[in-house]
Amino acid sequence: MFDWTSFVHSLPLLGQALLVTLKASLAGNLFGFLIAIPVTALRLSSRPLARTLGASYIFVFRGVPLLVQLLVIYYLLPTTGLPNLSPMTAAVLALSLCSGAYIAEILRGGFLAIPPGQIEAARLLGIGAATTLVRIELPQAVRLTLPSLVNELVLLIKASALISVVGLADLSRVAQNLAASDYLFFQHYLVLALAYCLINLPLTFSGRLLERHLARSQYRAAE
Amino acid sequence: MSQSPTTPQARFPAIRLDQVGKRFGDHQVLEGIDLEVAHSEVVCLIGPSGSGKSTLLRCMAFLEHYDQGEIYIEGALIGWEIDDQGRRRRASNRRLRQSRSNLGMVFQQFNLWPHMTALGNVSEALKRVKGLSRLDAERRGRQALERVGLLDKADAHPARLSGGQQQRVAIARALAMEPKIMLFDEPTSALDPELVGEVLAVMKRLASEGMTMVVVTHEMGFAARMADTLVFLDHGRIIARGAPAQVFGEEAPPRVRQFLQDYLERNALLIDANTEAPGAMPSSISAGDGAAAATKGMF
Repeated sequence: MFDWTSFVHSLPLLGQALLVTLKASLAGNLFGFLIAIPVTALRLSSRPLARTLGASYIFVFRGVPLLVQLLVIYYLLPTTGLPNLSPMTAAVLALSLCSGAYIAEILRGGFLAIPPGQIEAARLLGIGAATTLVRIELPQAVRLTLPSLVNELVLLIKASALISVVGLADLSRVAQNLAASDYLFFQHYLVLALAYCLINLPLTFSGRLLERHLARSQYRAAE
Repeated sequence: MSQSPTTPQARFPAIRLDQVGKRFGDHQVLEGIDLEVAHSEVVCLIGPSGSGKSTLLRCMAFLEHYDQGEIYIEGALIGWEIDDQGRRRRASNRRLRQSRSNLGMVFQQFNLWPHMTALGNVSEALKRVKGLSRLDAERRGRQALERVGLLDKADAHPARLSGGQQQRVAIARALAMEPKIMLFDEPTSALDPELVGEVLAVMKRLASEGMTMVVVTHEMGFAARMADTLVFLDHGRIIARGAPAQVFGEEAPPRVRQFLQDYLERNALLIDANTEAPGAMPSSISAGDGAAAATKGMF
């Protein structure tokens, strides 16, 4: 039923593919987070133009399927005279832009939960808007939305299965190739499914640990 | 008022309000407010809820944008720039920050940052605004905590502190920046009654050290004892002002006497008439016949 020889032979390939998947999705999440901060700030600005700008970003990058974003970024940009992107750059770019929109929406809820008086106190002390954002609002918003942020990371790792369309040998693509070469479709796809589970399990678990740690470090959201 | 204006900074009052008005939509919250606060003076703003006293205090820090009149902090107009035609335009952020650097503010809800320790709260602005090194900021932060008697709580997060302790940390946070003027917005209103005393004690010491203070408060006993000047607001206007003995005395307008009588009746129900509780009125002040009857034995 299960061909152990084939499995053992596939391991080195799967290992490399695992690195590609992790690299693209972790980098995508990190840059997505960095994109999300200014987008959230725009979204919550008191200036109508800034709000529209932030909302438009989210509308576009949450509204267009990731697969389409990947294809547009990889194939369309070079036709406009812009430099060619390596497959990995294109993949990280698409994942960052897309997850940036989702993370911005998650963070927005966290920012809104911070009592405005805390910001007023910072203003009165002369702390500028950018410093207030980074030092006072962001740490609280992240704590408040941590479960959703971990969830978003898990979703992004799974969504990264799409990056094979720009020619990257990620987990999903390598599993497909393996199956095509020895026709053990069920076996290779089962291993693939388990691989994704194994990546995401420790993430979910450490997310829960982190949450508990933050709760214990005397932080209460209600204050 | 407790100090003569001999210091060079006393060329102008600490705060001057000239015909200040503010409306929310159709509702005129403040109207024609004139007020001067001298250096080292303690002014208490009192009055029924909704009378505009908190809004007035927030206007002084430009947390609310007053839309008529002018507010000068240490001689400089706060929040607005007025051109030759008398049109007002928002002052630059830099100028607003400059005006606010004279002010320290304490809020009803403390507004501490919950993810930082007490020391973190107190030293944050020292680091980010005054540009002190971490070491220097923490040293000055500890000094500020010591002034409010909470040096031993430096490493505690706000959630681990009582309401009174949180408010004292908030006072230390404002004091650490060495403001010339302290604004208090109902600093004891969110506290359990037994925690009010410790916060008022810190404020009393500040006042005795010569700090210029504007205090919105419901603690009439504190106001009567500590204020150089009481300002009574009703429906967005100042209807009485002066020394406590004057505002609370026989000459007080009916509206003030009514307010005071209600306050005393409410408190007479709560406290033993023979002991002097922290919220009780000092005996030098009478509140008119009706109030006196209601609180017989309190003074």
